[in-house]
Amino acid sequence: MANQTEKFYLTKEGLKKLKEEYQELQKIAQIKVREQIPEIFHSEELNPEYLAYQEDNELLQSRLADLKNILTNAEIIKTPKKEKQNIVNLGAKVLVETDGQKTEFEILGSLEANPSLSKISNESPVGNALLGHKVGDMVTVQSAIKMTYKILKINYK
Amino acid sequence: MNELINFLIEIGKLKKIKRKGWIIRKVKNPETIADHSFRIAILAWFLGKEKRFDTKKILKMALIHDLCEVYAGDITPYDKILPKDKKQQKKVLKKWPRFSKSEDIERLLEKHKKEWKSLVRLTSKLPSETREEIINLWLDYEECLTKEGHFVRQVDKIENLLQALEYWKKDKKFPIKPWWVEIKETIDDPLLLQFIDTLDKKFHQKKKSK
Repeated sequence: MANQTEKFYLTKEGLKKLKEEYQELQKIAQIKVREQIPEIFHSEELNPEYLAYQEDNELLQSRLADLKNILTNAEIIKTPKKEKQNIVNLGAKVLVETDGQKTEFEILGSLEANPSLSKISNESPVGNALLGHKVGDMVTVQSAIKMTYKILKINYK
Repeated sequence: MNELINFLIEIGKLKKIKRKGWIIRKVKNPETIADHSFRIAILAWFLGKEKRFDTKKILKMALIHDLCEVYAGDITPYDKILPKDKKQQKKVLKKWPRFSKSEDIERLLEKHKKEWKSLVRLTSKLPSETREEIINLWLDYEECLTKEGHFVRQVDKIENLLQALEYWKKDKKFPIKPWWVEIKETIDDPLLLQFIDTLDKKFHQKKKSK
């Protein structure tokens, strides 16, 4: 997660999701303030996805503060102009060949990255190294173990 | 008190369960799940303090993050793709496994479901406040709900790398590359990246610096 002063790069959908979460959590916080905690579990207005926050006030307040900071410093990832879509940038889906295997990465900001689903952060060594490269480029990530990624395809949704 | 003792007996099993990632690589007398949790707690505490994170929360999260493995066991990405043939196994274990998007989703959902069920069962007899705290901390870790959750999740990968490097140092046949691949694709916290660079230098460039 980026530092407080840094920008939080988000997709349009990601930003929308976080705004909705913020509103939902604010709703929970307001109900808690009104001391209607027992009713919270029966409210049909509230999304069950946020159950953990309904039960844990510390978690709720911590997440609300995080979200406020993120929303204040959010920057939407824009799709580059057509003539620049041959270059890897934030938001790109990049098909690569590495170690004899093909895999597709989506390069996202730290908040939306989920390496288990091949969504890698632009601040990770591999995500960062791929930025600015074109199809056909061989990208090497510096470390004791040499890792090379050949870019096969770039697309922006 | 009786329920607390029962809970402690159950989680005590983690002191005996060897981590599967090492078993499949034939590491002799590998670390247990509890061994891993111990060192991840120390690492997350020290580095989390530098980041001015909530130390108490980080420590609790690190301590409970693998409790679900009491009943769910240690699940690795190689579980469903490891061939029976030993030569083929070695070949597969030399690479970080790649899956299609649908396979990734299916695998993760299955893992999450199994671990969730295990954690709910394990904590079912604890006082409700403690049970909720454990479950919420685990959800935070699993889904990176807060900056602490995001951080501890990355520290978990680094503790794995450190252990892998220690095994590799003892036996250079140990396939270390997949750990580096995972790390370089996963870690994005500047402090943790700095830590990784130091690990890299310590284990791989020691001879050069002499």
